Amino acid sequence: MAIIEISKLKKSFGSLDVLKQITFDVNKNDVVAVIGPSGSGKSTMLRSLVHLETIEGGSISVDGDYLVKDGVYPKQQDIKQITSKMGMVFQHFNLFPHLTVKENLEVAPRLLKRESLAVISKRSDELLEKIGLANFSNTHPAKLSGGQKQRVAIARALMLNPEILLFDEPTSALDPELTGEVLQVMKDLAEEHMTMIVVTHEMGFAKEVANRVVFMDNGEIVESGSPTEFFENPQFDRTKAFLRRNLK
Amino acid sequence: MTWDYFISILIPMLEGSKMTILLFLIAIVLSIPLGFLLTLAVKSSFKTLSWLAQIYIYVMRGTPLLLQLLIICFGLPMIPGIGQYLVLDRFVAACLGFVLNYAAYFAEIFRGGLLAIDKGQYEAAKVLGLNKWQTMTRIVVPQMFRIALPSLANESVTLVKDTALLYAVAVPELLHFAQTAVNRDFTIMPFFVAGAIYLVMTLLLTLFFKWIERRYTFE
Ligand SMILES: Nc1ncnc2c1ncn2[C@@H]1O[C@H](COP(=O)(O)OP(=O)(O)OP(=O)(O)O)[C@@H](O)[C@H]1O
Ligand SMILES: [Mg+2]
Repeated sequence: MAIIEISKLKKSFGSLDVLKQITFDVNKNDVVAVIGPSGSGKSTMLRSLVHLETIEGGSISVDGDYLVKDGVYPKQQDIKQITSKMGMVFQHFNLFPHLTVKENLEVAPRLLKRESLAVISKRSDELLEKIGLANFSNTHPAKLSGGQKQRVAIARALMLNPEILLFDEPTSALDPELTGEVLQVMKDLAEEHMTMIVVTHEMGFAKEVANRVVFMDNGEIVESGSPTEFFENPQFDRTKAFLRRNLK
Repeated sequence: MTWDYFISILIPMLEGSKMTILLFLIAIVLSIPLGFLLTLAVKSSFKTLSWLAQIYIYVMRGTPLLLQLLIICFGLPMIPGIGQYLVLDRFVAACLGFVLNYAAYFAEIFRGGLLAIDKGQYEAAKVLGLNKWQTMTRIVVPQMFRIALPSLANESVTLVKDTALLYAVAVPELLHFAQTAVNRDFTIMPFFVAGAIYLVMTLLLTLFFKWIERRYTFE
């Protein structure tokens, strides 16, 4: 069952066509790894799903509701309602430096006022426990390592109970020895059947955790398939060339 | 130089310091929020407003505060027709001049603070469902304020010293009483006393800002 349907997505920055007719579906409980060379439009595609980019043509629907239909957006309220089903984790964490770890987790749910403070506090404690940072709840982000920051960022996104989590190169800003702890949290989420779209350079993660790999190049989806098909039997020259460069 | 003499000049100078302190407090309390509004105006997508705010800041920072004070105290009443309605109490006029001038400086400081905030902060707030107002009040302004603190402290010390400009528009303040005593008694002592009083004020202010800076360090 498709939870996200993307069709004929088009986006340009000035004269540069960044997305050219991107079409693909994400099923519930999928873990989709999006890979491709720098500048191929991966981030732009991901960001357009949460309306951090406004697209010019094509459609995106989430759970059957259109975030944008043939390039036309609904009213602000509807956009907000649809994007609220997705959480996003950024390459550079984007934690709020003036808030403690626990405050980072709680600021959004508290302001959205859908639940009592007690419920919010309980969930933030549970999530901090889950990512192994229960002892850091009163720490400010500046005191954390990159890996710890990214785990907090994931917990912050989870606080809003999203149906889908989007990751834009979650480990690219980390020292190599710290990527493991973040990938482990993502792996755990995959095992709990969280639907995830992960833009990544981590071929290992794409192979082991993803159930689908999407290869983008130059604003297009060149090829997509199961990790086994994709890595062992790529169909297109562009894919083969990319894999030759990135698998060693 | 007797102790009695020292006390006799100190009392009126402390009396005069009240004016200095009052002006300082009024100026800082009003110009900081006004400066922030100016920053918002500069950043506004409504181009005319942005332009007007930028011109205002340029003019206020590009001309001497003394000139602005003279215009408000002595210039405005000379405007044909409406001048008679623009005769303000000297002290009120001075406060007005200080607030209008310092707001421009604070606006620049805040603008710098806003520029230093990463765009990822806005994006994270948006994806978490915060609206523009919540993003501004909970995420942006606290960070902007923290970034701006050292510059705010600097500017405030300058403001303390600038209060001496009251002298030029004949509002009796600290320096006025010092000068009076110097002329009357032919001694340099009152100037040193005045200097010492300014130093005490700027010291207290500096300590105050250091304290806030420590309180709002997020590391
Ligand atoms: N705000 C912007 N203004 C102008 N050009 C942009 C903007 N954002 C992205 N681009 C351009 O769009 C193209 C695609 O960018 P995008 O960030 O989506 O690529 P990417 O696949 O995520 O690359 P990377 O692997 O380097 O993150 C690039 O050429 C980039 O320079
Ligand atoms: Mg990118």
